[in-house]
Amino acid sequence: MLSETEAAELLSFLSPETRPDVKGQTTEYILGMSGNRDGCRFLRSKADLLHAVFALTSDPSIAIVKDCYHILINLSADETLHQVISPDSSADCRLNLHLALTVQHYRSSLIQVLVADVKVLPVLLKKLLDPEYVFADQICSILSNLTRHTKTCKTVLKVLQEEAGLSQLVTIFCTEGYNKKANFHYLGPLLSNLTQLPEARDYMMDKDRCVIQRLLPFTQYQASVVRRGGVVGTLRNCCFDHARHEWLLSDAVDILPFLLLPLAGPEELTEEENEGLPVDLQYLPEDKKREDDPDIRKMLLETLLLLTATGGGRNALKDKSVYPIMREFHRWEKDVHVTAACEKLVQVLIGDEPEQGMENLMEVDIPEDVEVKLKEADVKEQEELEKEQEEMRQEEEKKKSDAPGTDKGQDDGLTR
Amino acid sequence: MASKEVQHDSDDGMDEFMDKFKTQNYKNAFSEDNWEEEFDRIPMFMKKAPEEIDPQKYPELACLQAILHDEDRPPEEQAKGLKDEGNAYFKEKNYQKAILSYTAGLKKKCGDQELDTVLLTNRAAAHFYLGNMRSAYNDAAAAKKIKPEHLKALIRGAQSCIELRNFSEAVQWCDEGLKAHPTDKKLQELRAAADKHKRAKERDARKAKIKQKKLLAEKEALLAAIKDRGIKLLQSVKPRPSGSNSEDEDEGSSAAISQLSLDGLGSQEATGAQVFLDEQGSLHWPVLFLYPEHQQTDFISAFSEKDCFLDHLAIMFGEELPPWDTDRKYHPNNLQLYFEDEEKDTLYQVNQETSLLHALQHKRFFVKSGTPSFIVLVKISSFSKQFFTGKTIRNTMEDSSLLW
Repeated sequence: MLSETEAAELLSFLSPETRPDVKGQTTEYILGMSGNRDGCRFLRSKADLLHAVFALTSDPSIAIVKDCYHILINLSADETLHQVISPDSSADCRLNLHLALTVQHYRSSLIQVLVADVKVLPVLLKKLLDPEYVFADQICSILSNLTRHTKTCKTVLKVLQEEAGLSQLVTIFCTEGYNKKANFHYLGPLLSNLTQLPEARDYMMDKDRCVIQRLLPFTQYQASVVRRGGVVGTLRNCCFDHARHEWLLSDAVDILPFLLLPLAGPEELTEEENEGLPVDLQYLPEDKKREDDPDIRKMLLETLLLLTATGGGRNALKDKSVYPIMREFHRWEKDVHVTAACEKLVQVLIGDEPEQGMENLMEVDIPEDVEVKLKEADVKEQEELEKEQEEMRQEEEKKKSDAPGTDKGQDDGLTR
Repeated sequence: MASKEVQHDSDDGMDEFMDKFKTQNYKNAFSEDNWEEEFDRIPMFMKKAPEEIDPQKYPELACLQAILHDEDRPPEEQAKGLKDEGNAYFKEKNYQKAILSYTAGLKKKCGDQELDTVLLTNRAAAHFYLGNMRSAYNDAAAAKKIKPEHLKALIRGAQSCIELRNFSEAVQWCDEGLKAHPTDKKLQELRAAADKHKRAKERDARKAKIKQKKLLAEKEALLAAIKDRGIKLLQSVKPRPSGSNSEDEDEGSSAAISQLSLDGLGSQEATGAQVFLDEQGSLHWPVLFLYPEHQQTDFISAFSEKDCFLDHLAIMFGEELPPWDTDRKYHPNNLQLYFEDEEKDTLYQVNQETSLLHALQHKRFFVKSGTPSFIVLVKISSFSKQFFTGKTIRNTMEDSSLLW
């Protein structure tokens, strides 16, 4: 990688007073660096460079600002928390590092840098809330990436609550046209990540407010798979709190139809079956399409499965004729992993009630040896599924032997 | 300075004075008979405001009102007075009067936004209780314009939207309200209710659409079945865009089919019977039998195309002859069936053993108003002879030029 002198040189080029063309070339160069693992690691260890990059997001040149945001997105995507990295003791460092960085042997990660300087995250959040800000979406990406890991997630949530409040975020997310230049789709995954934390879930599912209800319609949002996936992920995380299932399934929230709609298809059901369904699922038109993305379909099924943990939840799903929807879905589904999830759900729906004392499946005590066996069974099932999927894929490839394969690029959040 | 005499007297006088009260009332006392009425006329004790304040009858009240509505007072005070007046009427559930007061208050244009907002919101409430939802909505919207976070206006607006069945807008109002008042229970309640109604409305629309589609499909199938059989439908009365009628006949009937117009199948009969396709794929027609000799008709609501005329005639003229058949002539084997080609003034004989389908498929048979009709005459009768004047008779079986 670069030597200390080279690093210092770079840093000097990043000062606001530097000629714009030199600045621009430097940011471009750094962007290139951030595109690979080693470059990222190097950059993350250089707190002063990071500060400089961040400072340049306020640069008058749009091109430079854009580059800087993309650098930050790449760095946040590649966030791997190292064990112990000695703090940078570069004597040439001109910027004021917060004392915490040098005194404590902190993991030198992006989040620490961003949070150490008290102004950074709050500044980002303030810009995010500005309806005129052009790079709001980039900020969403950065935040979304940063919240992937629990520790950083906690930090972001804390700052968020202090500065803007989760409510503001949900408002922006749900208000169409809040910002003409940004679509805020990446707030979806951000909310999903945040709801890993119980504090965030508490806020989302506050009975005295109307928060989670506003997210529900987006399970059907056609225009963005990121937004849809984020919302479904959020709902799934929320359903881990089985104490709230009754409320979630009640009229106050009515989560069930929004989970089922993406899985329901255009197949005609009998009048009897229709009348038993939740209102939103009745008489669906013949052009009704199911959710495209298999991962989202799987998440929806997992969420439904979570809701069957309690006796009350099971009854609710049984009462609302979820079964016909699942039946048609099972016929239609091709992906083996999703089908497996569907079958698990159906088993619970048509199976007998568990014996007394075990009604809440999430609270049942599983003896250790049984748990081990179950885990082994799970692993084995996964392997079999993989095999099945591989076989299916090979068959498909044989069929279209001269058709070019599509390269599904890895979505690791990296912008090149 | 009382003299001794007076002092003496006063004691006695006192007794006298006191005694007087036992028999006489004090000046202007209430009488036992009408004290309630009297009470009612004193403004302070009035339970209800009189409709009109006649200064003669209620001088004190008129006086008070004059004070309230004194034009010399500053507009804010007047407006506030009117607001209070409106509120009083509102409490009595006299919503009409309340609206008048509030309106008067707004007319003052006092410039106090807070007051105007309250006047509008209260007027909206009065309208709401009268069932004037649109007015309630308008007033709530006006109030919201002045003070976008006024809770009562937001609630009233949302409620009016729900009553007007604008459920999407109701949800919007609630969301706006919840931004400013996130924990307000009423708003949350209204939002949930509006959302529920909205989704039910959408379901109803979907259901109706599917039903309509089904009906359309059935109609198409029916018309296709008719067309496949080569049966021609005649539109009852339809203005033709181009020239004469005769050439347009065929066009007209195929137009009827292509238009999928119910008129082509409409029945003039009060029973409202219509041709239908049964599960086995056979058509059943409403059929009219006409007896011009006696000016009578018989109506068969569902004549299967597979049946022949004899099947029905045997039943209709089987055991008992109809009452109008005074000469007892109408036995099935005495009868001759015809259908009329009005255009060409031609009557076509129809053999009784023909099936309905076969008859309908005749080149010159046009089904009028969805109901095929047949003329029934007694063979070789004087009436028939008369009936035939001016018309051509054709035999459907023998005339080779008239091939189906």
